[in-house]
Amino acid sequence: MRQLNRLGKNAIVLSLAGNLKDAGSWCGETHLQKAVYLLQELTQVPLGFDFILYKHGPFSFDLRDALTAMRADYQLRFLIHPIPYGPSLVATDTGKQFQKRLSSVVSKYRNQISFVAMHLGSKSVTDLEKLGTAFYVLKEDDSRSQEQVARRVSELKPHIPIDVAREAAIGIDKIIGAYNSSY
Amino acid sequence: MVKNTHEIRDAIHTFIQFDSDERKIIDSRPFQRLRHINQLAMTDLVYPGATHKRFEHSLGVMHLADRIYGVVTHPENVRPEVSEVLPELSNEDNLRYWRKVVRAAALCHDLGHLPFSHAGEKEGLLPNGWNHERLTLEFIRSDEMRDIWEALTPPLRPDDIAKLAVGPKEGAKYIDSVFTDWQAILADIIVGDAFGADRMDYLLRDSHHIGVAYGKFDHYRLIDTLRILRPPPTENGGQSQEPTLGIEEGGLHSIESLLLARYAMFSQVYFHRVRRIYDIHLRDFLKEWLCNGQFPTAIEDLLKVTDVEVTQALRQASLENGNLGALANRIIDRQHFKAIYQRNPDDLKVNSDAAQAIYTAASEEFGAENVRKDQDRKGGGDSNFPVLSRDGSIISSLTLSQILENIPEAAIDYVFVDPKCRIDAIKWLKENRRNIIESAKEEGHEAVE
Repeated sequence: MRQLNRLGKNAIVLSLAGNLKDAGSWCGETHLQKAVYLLQELTQVPLGFDFILYKHGPFSFDLRDALTAMRADYQLRFLIHPIPYGPSLVATDTGKQFQKRLSSVVSKYRNQISFVAMHLGSKSVTDLEKLGTAFYVLKEDDSRSQEQVARRVSELKPHIPIDVAREAAIGIDKIIGAYNSSY
Repeated sequence: MVKNTHEIRDAIHTFIQFDSDERKIIDSRPFQRLRHINQLAMTDLVYPGATHKRFEHSLGVMHLADRIYGVVTHPENVRPEVSEVLPELSNEDNLRYWRKVVRAAALCHDLGHLPFSHAGEKEGLLPNGWNHERLTLEFIRSDEMRDIWEALTPPLRPDDIAKLAVGPKEGAKYIDSVFTDWQAILADIIVGDAFGADRMDYLLRDSHHIGVAYGKFDHYRLIDTLRILRPPPTENGGQSQEPTLGIEEGGLHSIESLLLARYAMFSQVYFHRVRRIYDIHLRDFLKEWLCNGQFPTAIEDLLKVTDVEVTQALRQASLENGNLGALANRIIDRQHFKAIYQRNPDDLKVNSDAAQAIYTAASEEFGAENVRKDQDRKGGGDSNFPVLSRDGSIISSLTLSQILENIPEAAIDYVFVDPKCRIDAIKWLKENRRNIIESAKEEGHEAVE
């Protein structure tokens, strides 16, 4: 299977973080995790991260390691907010320069990055948790009806009530429909 | 009367207690094999005290995991909003069962380590798709261990143990891609990035044996203040209800100490340049020495290979002429390659793969056989976790602690050369470094993986 190398992945993740931020996202790690999941699994950008159902829905340890490595390489940093909020992740000047140098990779996937940022940028972490889990459940079995998706989401994440899970099942169908009609 | 409680004296925890069921695990062949696997590979060639084994580390992880489990599940420490979403916390039979699973998983979490631990695991020394976590699963599911699990009271499900022993990253690949919130918390108790017993024990134990003070921290206070909490909010109206491990505000200084200890140990011990080149020389030797250049994955074969057998082979080969002897003598006679380059922020601003550029150019200049590269980034390391403040609110650790915010991530990029080229290579690099780094093009291409 073809996938981007480490530098290509870093450039895409930095671009996605910037686009999410511009679209109003808080852009903490959870926001990035779910946005990268959709970018990879819905819009098929070949990032090659392994996702499992774990913290707040689909989660990739590879992506977490990549984010940590990008902080070690001075490309990404925490932006600390007032108490009690968690941090955002933002590109540093070094990260922005790096992104420019790899602009050819980023421009190849510009439409997919824009699509994900547009649809997820305004979502809170709780929205992303249920949407991401609903998409994960659909990928387990794409023949599931919205009701079956909702029930499975609530089964896997007992803190998500069934009515909220139903909204998520409808919400993810809309996002998938929007992507399929656009591309 | 037959004793049901046993204890072993330990350098870190004074006494480690276990019951007769756990004694069967400890006495098993897979566990006894850990007596012959160094915790820190060939680090003793740099820090001579580093000769401790995975055996005592595994006992220590069981001891700490049990203490953490006891604290976070104690009724006085469980908050109502957490017990609402984690019904497992209200069922005493369930709590007793999982306590045994946690202890067994902690004991077994390193069963699959190859000789010289992580050093023996990279660059194709195992067949594709294999690593020490998968070998750990094989041991836990082996007939020998299965007999032990079934004879326990109550019997333990091997896959419950396996899931917690290897954690979600690898467990999802080989057992079950879904970790429930409860299982995720239990796995975090053992192998978690921030508060895992594995990390606590290896930092305390490694620093003790090496003789450095910077790996120590107040683990008593840290464990006593651990709690299961909701995550901190990320924005207005954005707070997940999913429970996770966090800490009371009073333990914040202890976790700061742990994460500082981790940074110091990575920077000065685990990522030490001489230690790292010995790992590379060991892998070069193993590729030649092992049958087909790979370790076996069959349990019975693996039981026969430990540091003892590899060390014996190194010593034997070092007496012989030829390629294998030369590879062995990189280690035995300490003829290791020398570092000529290591990462720095200025180079990374210009080229995010500066070390690769230096390595490629040096290989062309001095011959690939005389140059080695090492690149590593400490993975995981989530310093953002929930803190239960004194007023009862949940706060992100990073907003409360400037120390956590500013602890750097440990990372290395080294280029090494054969000692015979060292002087020429240093001179060559001084003259060409800037040009090499600036002219090398960073490429973000797609490739077949």
